[in-house]
Amino acid sequence: MDFGKIAGVKAIFSIIILLLFSNLGQAQKIVRYDLYVKDTTVNFSGKPRRAIAVNGQIPMPTLTFTEGDTAEIYVHNELKEETSLHWHGLFLPNQYDGVPNLTQMPIKPHTTHLYRFAIIQNGTHWYHSHTGLQEQIGMYGSMILNKKKEPVIPTVPIILSEWTDMNPKNVHRMLHNASDWFAIKKGTTQSYSEAIRQGYLKTKVANEWKRMTAMDVSDVYYNQFLINGKNESQLAQFKPGDKVRLRISNAGASTYFWLTYAGGKMTVVANDGNDVEPVIVDRLIIAVSETYDVIVTIPQVNPGAKPTAYEFLVTSEDRTRSASLYLGEGVKQLATPLPRLNYFEGMKMMNGMMKMDGNLDDRGMNMSLNQMDMNLVMYPEITGPLPSKKMKETSQQGKKDNMEGMKMDNKKQLTESGHTDHNRYNSNALSAITTLNYAMLKSPVNTSLPKNAPVKELRFVLTGNMNRYVWSMDNKVVSERDKILIKKGQNIRMIIYNNSMMRHPMHLHGHDFRVLNGQGENAPMKNSIDIMPMETDTLEFAATESGDWFFHCHILYHMMSGMGAVFSYENSPVNPEIPNPRLAQRKLFADDREFHFMAENDVATNGNDGEAMLQNTRWNIGTEWRLGYNDYHGYEVETHVGRYLGKMQWLMPFIGFDWRYRKMGMDEVETNLFGQRNTKDKRSILSAGVNYTLPMLVSAQAEIFTDGNVRFQLERMDIPVSKRLRMNLMVNTDKEYMAALKYIFTKNAGVTAHYDSDMGFGVGLTMNY
Amino acid sequence: MKSIKILIAVVLLLSSFLSPAEIKNTSTENVKISGSCALCKEGIEAAAFQKNISRASWDKDTKMALVTYDNKKTSIDAVLKKVALAGYDNQSYLAPADAYAKLADCCNYERTVKNEVLAEKKMPEHQHGAVASSQKAADADPLQPVLEAYYAVKDALVNSDGNAASSNATRLVKAIKAVKMEQLGSQQHLIWMKVMKDLDFDADHISETKDIGHQRDHFSSLSDSMYQLIKSAKPSETVYYQHCPMAKEGKGANWLSQIPAIKNPYFGAQMLTCGKTTETIK
Repeated sequence: MDFGKIAGVKAIFSIIILLLFSNLGQAQKIVRYDLYVKDTTVNFSGKPRRAIAVNGQIPMPTLTFTEGDTAEIYVHNELKEETSLHWHGLFLPNQYDGVPNLTQMPIKPHTTHLYRFAIIQNGTHWYHSHTGLQEQIGMYGSMILNKKKEPVIPTVPIILSEWTDMNPKNVHRMLHNASDWFAIKKGTTQSYSEAIRQGYLKTKVANEWKRMTAMDVSDVYYNQFLINGKNESQLAQFKPGDKVRLRISNAGASTYFWLTYAGGKMTVVANDGNDVEPVIVDRLIIAVSETYDVIVTIPQVNPGAKPTAYEFLVTSEDRTRSASLYLGEGVKQLATPLPRLNYFEGMKMMNGMMKMDGNLDDRGMNMSLNQMDMNLVMYPEITGPLPSKKMKETSQQGKKDNMEGMKMDNKKQLTESGHTDHNRYNSNALSAITTLNYAMLKSPVNTSLPKNAPVKELRFVLTGNMNRYVWSMDNKVVSERDKILIKKGQNIRMIIYNNSMMRHPMHLHGHDFRVLNGQGENAPMKNSIDIMPMETDTLEFAATESGDWFFHCHILYHMMSGMGAVFSYENSPVNPEIPNPRLAQRKLFADDREFHFMAENDVATNGNDGEAMLQNTRWNIGTEWRLGYNDYHGYEVETHVGRYLGKMQWLMPFIGFDWRYRKMGMDEVETNLFGQRNTKDKRSILSAGVNYTLPMLVSAQAEIFTDGNVRFQLERMDIPVSKRLRMNLMVNTDKEYMAALKYIFTKNAGVTAHYDSDMGFGVGLTMNY
Repeated sequence: MKSIKILIAVVLLLSSFLSPAEIKNTSTENVKISGSCALCKEGIEAAAFQKNISRASWDKDTKMALVTYDNKKTSIDAVLKKVALAGYDNQSYLAPADAYAKLADCCNYERTVKNEVLAEKKMPEHQHGAVASSQKAADADPLQPVLEAYYAVKDALVNSDGNAASSNATRLVKAIKAVKMEQLGSQQHLIWMKVMKDLDFDADHISETKDIGHQRDHFSSLSDSMYQLIKSAKPSETVYYQHCPMAKEGKGANWLSQIPAIKNPYFGAQMLTCGKTTETIK
C-alpha cells in the first residue's frame, strides 16, 4: 500500500502525547483525537485509484476510549468536498450523531468540526463518513469502547471492507440503470445458455415469466476484500494455546461476510457492542454495519513441534473473493474456502416465493431472525456439490468432483446418524456446520423495557424494485415520507417485514433495540439487524433521547436510493448545528431524488441508433434516436417523459414528442395495422401513451399521436443469451420490427448485429455509459 | 457486404489478442511441496498453473518444485496457496483438512502437521441405544416396525436419496405384510383393514423406482394413510404430524416424524426446514 502523502504524522504524535497524558488522570478523562481527512491514491488491485485517507491511513485510525471518558474528536476536512463522521452504535447527544443535513450541516472543505460527547457505554463499535459514498473509498474505522475493567485477553480490532476500482458514483449510477456488468464480472449472468447447460431452462423461463432478472445475493462486483486494509496479513505474536478476541466490525458498503476459522470453532461473545452469552459456532455471517466479538483459540501443538498459524477467513457473501488474517507464527493452516453458489437453485427457490404481482409469499413459514436461510439452497457445502456439469471440464476436474460427491455423501450420513435425535431444536440440524443466527443470541442481563411506559407500535414493510434499483420502506423513499414522530418515555415497537428480494441490514442511530428472539427478558440488544426476504422481526426500544435519528438500510447504495426514515422526538430542543432546517431537509432529500444518466449509441453499417435516459425513483426522461446515413433510411428521434406507478413500477404513463424525416419514393405511403396512413416523410408530433412490463419482461407500449395515429409496440431488451451475449426484439403496429444481438466486451463497449425493418441489416460498435 | 467485411476485421482483430504469450517478468524459486505419486505431480502442477502467469515442475523424489512465475502479477505465496487449497501441504501453507481428504488414495502423503484438534470436532456427537430401545418398543406395539420402516423411507427422502428410499420402502412392504392383525386393537383393526391396501400400494411404488419425484408423490398418500393408522391408537413413542404448504406444487403435503424439528422429505436440502408440526400424537 503506498499512500501518496502521509498526512498528519504530526497529528499522530500529538495523539500519542495526549493519550500518555490522559492516562495520568483518572476521573472525567478527556480523550482527544485529531482526524485529518485527505484525498489519497491507493493501489489495492494493481491500479492506482483515488481514495480518502484519514491521518494518512485506510482504514481510519482505531479510536479507543474507556467507559466514562469524554471524547473530543476534531475533524479537519482537507478534502475539496464536504464530509461528516457518524459514530456507529454510540449513544450521544443528537447534534453529534454525524448525519449531514439531519443532525448537523456537512463539514465544509478546509474547516474543522468538533464532536464532543461522553462515552456512556462499552463495546465494539465503528465510525464512518455519512456523506455520499465516501464510506466506500476509505472512510471507516474501528471504535473500541473498553469497559472500566476489561477481561484480560489479547484483543485485535478488525474492520472488514471491500474495494472497487470503479468510482462509487459510477457504481451507483450503473446499479440504477440495471447494468449487468457486475454479474458478468462475477460470472453470475444466469443466461439462457447456462440455464440449458445446467438443466434449469424451466427455472429460467419461470423466473422471467415472473418479471425477475437474474438474482444474486449482492449487487456490486468488488476487486478486493480487506481486513484492516489488507487482503492478507499475519499476526505472528500469538502462540499455540492462546485465546484471542477479535473485535470485528463490517464496514463493507454493501457486502455481507462469512467468517470462518481454520483453527476450529469460534465463540461469539458480543454483538453490536453488547455482550451475549457465549455461543460456539463453526461460522457466522456478519451483516453490513454489524459488529461481533469472537474468541478464537490457536490450537496447541505437541511439545517441541513448530507452531502453526491459522487462517481467519473472511469471504464475501457472493463468494467471489476472500480476505485472510493468519493468527500465530509459522506455516499457515488454511481454512476450507466456501464453494461457489449454485445460482439456479436460488432462482428456483425465488420462483417459488414470488407471486405474479411481485409480492413475496412465505407460505405460512413465519420466517424470522435468520433461522431459516433460504439461500441455503445455493450453498454446496450444505446441500451437496453442484450438479455434475463440471464433469465435462477436464478429466482432472471430473475426478475431483466425483471425490467431492462421495465425500459429501459420507458426511451427510455421518451427520444424519449424528443427530437424528439431538439438536432437535436447532435449525442447524441439517448439517454438521453450526451457523450463528439471531435466535441463538442471549443477553446476560435483563433487557426488558420500562414496564409502565406507553407503547407505540410501528409496522414497516421493506420494499424494493430490483430492476430499477428503487429501495424503500412501505414504498416510500426518505424524501416521500414525513418524519415518524415519537415521544420521550414511550416504548417503541417496530414490526418489520421484508417484502423485497434482497436482505437488508437495518440500522437505528443513537439507540439499541431489543430483538424479540424467544429469549424473554434476556433478548439481545442490537443497533443493526439483518432482515432476509420474507422475514418478519420485532424490535423494541425505549425512547429516551431527543432530536432526529436516522433509521435506514446500511447497504450504502440502498440508503442513497432512499431506504430509510427519520425518527423525530416531539418537542425536541432546537439543534444548534442546524441553523436552517428547511435547507437541511432539502439537501437531505436530494440524495434519493437524484437523477441517474445512461446513454447508449450504436454506430452501425446501416445507421446510427441509440438512446439516452435520465431517471430517478419515479420519473423517466428518455430519448431514442435512429439516424440513417441517407434520406431514404430517414432520421427519427422519440422523446418520452414518464412517471412510474405502483410499487413494482411496471406501469409508466408518459407523454412524448416524435420527430421524423424520411424521403420515400413518390407518393409512397405506409399504412399501419389499423389502416391508418402515415407518410413519415416529415413528422413532428406530440404523443401520450403508457408502458407496461409484461411477464417475460416484455415491455408493451401503447401510444396515441396528435395526428390520430395509434401505435402499439412490444419490446424485449437484453435477453441474456449467454454470459456476454444479449438479444433485443421489437415489433409494432407500424409494421416495424427489429432484432439485435449484442456482445458485451467491456463495461462501455460491445458489438451489435441487428436487422431493422427501416434500415436493414447492420453491424456496429456499441458504446454505452 | 460491407458489413461482413467489418465483421471479419473485428474477428481478426480479436484473434490477435488471443495469440500465445510467455510468462513475463519471470522469477523462479525452488520450494518444498508434499506429495507422493505421479497423480500428485499432476495435481500440484495443475494447481500452480495459470496461463502466462505461473507454472511449476514438481519432483516426486525430492518433493521439490521449481516454480516459475510473473513477479508483477503474482507471488510465490499466492501460487503456494493455490497448491495448498488443492490439498498439498508446502513450506508456506497447509491444506485444509477436506482438501487433503479429497486427494486420490495414492496421494495420501504423510502429513507432518497434527490436525487432531480439527479431527476431533468432526466426530458425531454421540451415538446412543436407539436400536435397542426400539427393539423393545416393537414387542409392545405391533405397528412399530411399520413406523420404523416408514421413518427410514422418510429420512431417505429428506436426504433426496432415491436408492435408499427404494430399499427402505422394500423393508416397509415386508413390515406391512408382517403385521399380525390379531394384535391390533379393535378400532385400529378397522383402520388397518381400510388403509392396508393403500399403504402396500404406495410403499410398493416407492420401492420400484429410484425417481425421487415419483417417490415423493407416493410418499404423500402413504403419509396420509399412516397418519390415520397411527392416530387410531396411542403410539409407543411421540409422533409429530408435520405439514409443508409448498409441497406438491403448492397443494401442500404431510408426513409423520419421530422428531419435532422440521426436516422436509418433499424438498430435501432444497428447503429442508419448510413446514411446521400441526399435531403431536402421543
